[in-house]
Amino acid sequence: MSKLSRLRLAGTKNMAIIETKNLTYTYPGATKPSIIDVSIKVEKGEFVLITGPSGCGKTTLCRCFNGLVPHFYQGELKGEISVAGVNTLEHHTYEMAKHVGLVFQNPENQLFALSIEKDVAFGLENVGVSREEMRKKVDWALNLTGIYDLRERSPHEISGGQQQRVAIAAVLAMEPEIIVLDEPTSFLDPLSAEKIFEVIYALNKKQGITVILVEHRLDLTAKYTNHLIVMDEGKVRFEGNPREILSTEETRLIGVGIPKATLLYQMLKKDGLNLNGNIPLSSEELADQLLEALKPK
Amino acid sequence: MSVFDGLRFRKVYSPIHNLDPRIKFVYVISIFVVAILFYQIIPLLFLFFLQIPFVLLARVQRQWLRSLRGASFLAGFIFIVNVATTYFTSGYTLLAPNVENAAAMTLRFVVLVESFSVFFLTTSPDHLGLALEESRVPYEFAFAFTTAVRFVPVLAEEAQTIMDAQKARGLELEKGGLLKRIRNYVPVLIPLIVSAIRRSLELAEAMESRAWGATKKRTNLYLLKLRRGDYALLAITVGILVVAIYVRLFVPIPTITQLL
Repeated sequence: MSKLSRLRLAGTKNMAIIETKNLTYTYPGATKPSIIDVSIKVEKGEFVLITGPSGCGKTTLCRCFNGLVPHFYQGELKGEISVAGVNTLEHHTYEMAKHVGLVFQNPENQLFALSIEKDVAFGLENVGVSREEMRKKVDWALNLTGIYDLRERSPHEISGGQQQRVAIAAVLAMEPEIIVLDEPTSFLDPLSAEKIFEVIYALNKKQGITVILVEHRLDLTAKYTNHLIVMDEGKVRFEGNPREILSTEETRLIGVGIPKATLLYQMLKKDGLNLNGNIPLSSEELADQLLEALKPK
Repeated sequence: MSVFDGLRFRKVYSPIHNLDPRIKFVYVISIFVVAILFYQIIPLLFLFFLQIPFVLLARVQRQWLRSLRGASFLAGFIFIVNVATTYFTSGYTLLAPNVENAAAMTLRFVVLVESFSVFFLTTSPDHLGLALEESRVPYEFAFAFTTAVRFVPVLAEEAQTIMDAQKARGLELEKGGLLKRIRNYVPVLIPLIVSAIRRSLELAEAMESRAWGATKKRTNLYLLKLRRGDYALLAITVGILVVAIYVRLFVPIPTITQLL
């Protein structure tokens, strides 16, 4: 990238770590685009939740963030995209790997080595980090995700939840500014899923890493975010405050899994019971509001 | 999946497992060469028993015996062919030296099998991949090797799932003659291959996302380093080679029939 274009990007950036403008992409051989006119802006340190029915373009959008689209998938990409101040169109995926870590759905298919620590080291080995430094970073990532004790095990000996934590550690070891997780818990049971979300939330809060999480399970995740993106048929339908978006009728009709606490709040409201405070996103919030309402005056 | 059990490596720690795979390989090749140098039964017996301390130290007796049992059919075949040829060529007489010679040939084969099995039983695929890498084999090949080993249990599990699913739809795998039985497996193989291809695409995607191919000068988390044990094995190997060559050239070796 030339110095001039870098300056131009820096000028228009405004702290946005990811910015897309009218992004439209068609896979090779496909008749219609998978994402249409997507313009979003993510700020540094945010926890962004993307949701929407299957096939709505969430995964494709994730692939845009680290340059898999268009470099790995070819196809036709129109519009502008800048991630961590870099135009992904001009930079190969392996250059983006230092900025963006991508965690996929199936934990099994992202681990290639015969031991956990070797897997976590994979990215660093590819970049050519020295052995001492690599050891430090690998141990750091293993500790943050709570799998240090498993480091010498082989991937098929551990559970799916643990495998997914290895996948997170593996992208974390590269010390990216952004971690993108594409339905990381769809292969996991609710308890393992919750543990994964806690790990991700801690990374966002304590390490300041920008997180983009694609999820259907809003019951478990809506409480972590204040920036929700709802996609449908390749387009961004809603973007903004989850409390407002999740309480609209349109969102429910798209097929978004509205948190049960939010639904109950609305039912109660319809029946004339107005609770104090914000629209709740989690059972805990709703429980607090109900307790207050039930208190004898 | 019993078929894949042999390929499923379990981590074991023993002095032999910890040895450098390159030195172990040199040792195996030396045993190989020595076994070919001799055709008499006494030195071959000696070579055969030489492996046993290694097997015991590595605590792989059971697997080792299993691999020998696997070789027994071929060994029996070699023995019978050797005896038969000498029987027919020496005028339909069965002489003790001929039988001994056939036994020696069989033993030579057994020595080759046993030394290789000790190598593969005590070398983790991880170590082997590392050894390949450090012997300047292109990284892509070493990576392909370790990844293949990594996915054996995954694919085995998947094959089982597909078999169960097809059986639930009425597929009868154990029915008909040999050809029919082979054909029965087509509905298992096709989904297995399709899903393997899909899996490989996902793998490629994950590799790309983790900076695959970022630099030509790849580094490695592990380093193979020669330790005291490795030097000891190297010394033993050289010793065996020297003694073997000396004996081969200057010492007349009696056969057992002569001794009797």
